[in-house]
Amino acid sequence: MRCVAAVSEWRVKLVGRPKDVSCPSVVKTQVIDTGLCCRCMACMAACPAAVRTGVGFDFEERKHVCVDCEICVRVCPRLDYKPLSGIGSYIKAVAGRSKRFKGQDGAMVTEILMSAMEMGIIDRCIFVGRDEDWRTEILHVRDVEQLEVPTLTGTKYTFAAAVPALREAVLNTKVGVGFVGTPCMVSGVRRLQKELAVFRRKVKLVIGLFCTENFYWDELTEFLKERGVDIKKLVKTDITKGKFIATMTDDVVEFPVKELSAIMPSGCRVCTDFSAVESDVSVGSVGSKPGFSTVLVREENAKEVLDFIREHGYADFDEVSLEFVERLCNLKKKREANIK
Amino acid sequence: MGIKRLKMPEYSFGDKVKWHAAAVGTAFKEAFFPHTVTVHYPKERRKFPDNFRGYILFDIEKCINCWQCAFVCPANAIRMKEAPNKKYYPTIDYAKCIFCHFCVDSCVGGALRTTKIHDVAYADVNEMLAETEQLMEPPEIVREDRRYVEYVIEEDDVRLRRVKGQDYLLVEPPPRKEYSMVCVCDDPESCTGCGTCADVCEHYAISISIEGEYKVIRIDTARCTGCGLCVKECPLRVLRLVRREGEQ
Repeated sequence: MRCVAAVSEWRVKLVGRPKDVSCPSVVKTQVIDTGLCCRCMACMAACPAAVRTGVGFDFEERKHVCVDCEICVRVCPRLDYKPLSGIGSYIKAVAGRSKRFKGQDGAMVTEILMSAMEMGIIDRCIFVGRDEDWRTEILHVRDVEQLEVPTLTGTKYTFAAAVPALREAVLNTKVGVGFVGTPCMVSGVRRLQKELAVFRRKVKLVIGLFCTENFYWDELTEFLKERGVDIKKLVKTDITKGKFIATMTDDVVEFPVKELSAIMPSGCRVCTDFSAVESDVSVGSVGSKPGFSTVLVREENAKEVLDFIREHGYADFDEVSLEFVERLCNLKKKREANIK
Repeated sequence: MGIKRLKMPEYSFGDKVKWHAAAVGTAFKEAFFPHTVTVHYPKERRKFPDNFRGYILFDIEKCINCWQCAFVCPANAIRMKEAPNKKYYPTIDYAKCIFCHFCVDSCVGGALRTTKIHDVAYADVNEMLAETEQLMEPPEIVREDRRYVEYVIEEDDVRLRRVKGQDYLLVEPPPRKEYSMVCVCDDPESCTGCGTCADVCEHYAISISIEGEYKVIRIDTARCTGCGLCVKECPLRVLRLVRREGEQ
């Protein structure tokens, strides 16, 4: 699957930035300091210095190890930010419930990825699990048996470094990689695919999740602690009908989602993409009955997977009402006013 | 099915005498020329084949610092240690080594080679960590052997053949078929132009220059020795080693 032409001289296009400014400071001043950064970490997935030195998402520190390759400037989806909004184009919209897997709602993300793996489109995919403190951790799933980890399914409402993990998966895969992430992560992956051919060839299926906002782990846990949630006992978090519901082993805490806006990251304040417009297929709970997931099929590759699921009877399908999805899309579109 | 009873065959008196005599003869023969297959180490040594996986020797001249031995070691016995010339060379912890010789097989430059030495004694565990300097010289062993032993198979039977003299323990590595390799980029569209390859190249074969609005990366094929360092270090693995043109 590699390019046939092997060359000993090649060119890389430069971005065209002022000579005395290093590329981390371009990102720092134009994205992070202006509050546009959405923590998709596409810059970390491509940064050669981060790979070699192990420097994390810290642009102050990254300045010292930068090798001036400009890849972070090229892949950042929020640098010259063109906000996407609305429900986007789609081939069809269905509600689905997996018969094989159990999840927060219909477990359709797991079902689509595992079916794609069965079809041989992909040979690995990236899941986000959590530890007992609800910190996110990345799992490279290469076999259905790995899904027995109970913490894999369910929403975490916390940022995860899934895109940096994608780099490793892309370099090691033989067939292709399946990716699932929030709309901003999907945009980051699309930018990576636009700039780097290896991502274009190897990322075969991108699933976007419906997303209103996401939170930093330390702020969210601090907030939940104030509300009397014991993180160690927490088993499930969910947002339904304007309420944040934290289910613990012995208790349930509920409060209106609006209270969470105090800790909403600045990158989410300027995000207008609810339905992951750029993804191959979008999945979320909004718009379908309890126990079902809404599936918006946007691209042909995702349609093939859905047909495969239907053929094998891996899932139940139901009608979907897109009014709710559209209402949330419009609600999120109002955040355009926050972009300076 | 009934049980078939076997009857004792009738032997003649002459046969019985003959077989008894043969048994006594074998007993005498074994008493004077015992037919055992035990090697009497340390007075004699078994002659091992040349590809025996024994103590590993290191040739610093051939090492290209690729760390492949440390990466491949399944027992994590090999650690790279920084030398005064800022390069890293392997040390082998023989307390961990399982003598699989993956390191020898994977060594790109042929710097690691095997010996037939299998009897190095250590006073304690810490001593078993062989530093690079120790690996460059064969270890000190006590040799009391005056003859070496080979197993030969004769008529479905294993016999020992003892030969006077000492067996050689330091094996000369077999001549390697050297291929001249050269580094190429087979996925220029995935190159970030980070310059890692140019940094690690020891022969200054890769150069990066800015021409107009493009960054141009050139591999000087005349200077490239095909060591593969850049291939290993490239963060997006766009480089590859290929046989030099005109070679089989």
